[in-house]
Amino acid sequence: MGSGISVVLKAQTLGTLWGFPITNSLVMTWGVMTLLIGLAFFFSRSLKLVPGKLQAGIEYVIEFVLDYMADTLESEELARRFFPLVATIFLFIALVNELEFFPGVDSIGFLHLGSVTPLLRTPTTDLNFTLALAFISFFTIEITGIAMLGFSKHASKYVNVKSLTGFFVGLIEFISNLGRLISFSFRLFGNIFAGEVMVLVAGYFLPYFLPAPLMGFEMFVGFIQALVFAMLTLFFIKLAIMDPAEAH
Amino acid sequence: MNALFSAFGVDWRLLLAQTVNFGVVLVALWYFLYKPVMQVLEKRRSIVTQGVEDAKRAAEKLAGADEAAAKRVVEAETEAEEIVKTARTAASLDRSRMLAEAEERSAQIVTDADLRAAELAERVRRESEKDVARLALLAASKLMKERHE
Repeated sequence: MGSGISVVLKAQTLGTLWGFPITNSLVMTWGVMTLLIGLAFFFSRSLKLVPGKLQAGIEYVIEFVLDYMADTLESEELARRFFPLVATIFLFIALVNELEFFPGVDSIGFLHLGSVTPLLRTPTTDLNFTLALAFISFFTIEITGIAMLGFSKHASKYVNVKSLTGFFVGLIEFISNLGRLISFSFRLFGNIFAGEVMVLVAGYFLPYFLPAPLMGFEMFVGFIQALVFAMLTLFFIKLAIMDPAEAH
Repeated sequence: MNALFSAFGVDWRLLLAQTVNFGVVLVALWYFLYKPVMQVLEKRRSIVTQGVEDAKRAAEKLAGADEAAAKRVVEAETEAEEIVKTARTAASLDRSRMLAEAEERSAQIVTDADLRAAELAERVRRESEKDVARLALLAASKLMKERHE
């Protein structure tokens, strides 16, 4: 407490492996990956034709999401094709965010030059993670648009020389599409990072009362942010596959 | 821009690593979660569809069986009526035959009785004639005896 609040904007490097930096957010990403894949593995082994309560619940959620995606994309085939991507974005971000306040995260680490370097850092508070997801989402959206409409038709959304208004609309569309990279990555990063800082500050001022309810609220925010990222990806895919004339 | 990237610790190697991490999770979840669940859902859907089709076929079969049973009942009733009719005809024929036989037998009995009666009358007549002849002889002999005396 005497040393004040220490807020580090970027993930700290724990060491290097063949010149590759191993950051604490990368370590936690691997941990979450192992957990998620392990859960999926054990779940797949217990799958039965006559489901138990857990399996029935998961199947219900999957079918609900598939139906929602089919309604949004107006195609069951497209919904099945994009379901793994959208669901993985949601599950990965949600699990990462829900483990944000898990004991050990951001609290156990190495003492280095008088300050603690945490072993684990929530990946969504590292811009590399959120930006990587934003790139994946961005390229999926653009490639889907090209694959469904054809390159020239898709490009006509951005380059329109038929009229001055059309040209500016295309330019704005192009800039707003590029802006998605920033909005996708910074929205997630900002929300989760700000939440951590808020809990940290609250712990500094009212250590016995405020952090716990705020942590609960931040877990809710983490869930919502995962949902927002996944749903925006879905909606932008829908916009990408729409005919330019229809889209405007 | 470099200062901004540096402040946030953006490093293309870490970006690439996180992209690969996401790819690994996507593939693993697809293999261990989405694909098996989809297969189970598809299998269950096909079983339910098959069940509905089977039930429909069974209902059709049942309706067919009812129809066949009704047809068989109608056939059996017709057959039974035919048998009863045949039996009645046969019984009627038997009765007529028996009546005719009885009538024939009674006629035969009557004829036999008439013949026997005629025979008896003839015999009685013949015996009476003998008696009359004997009495006539006796009277004649008695008359002749009285004349002689």
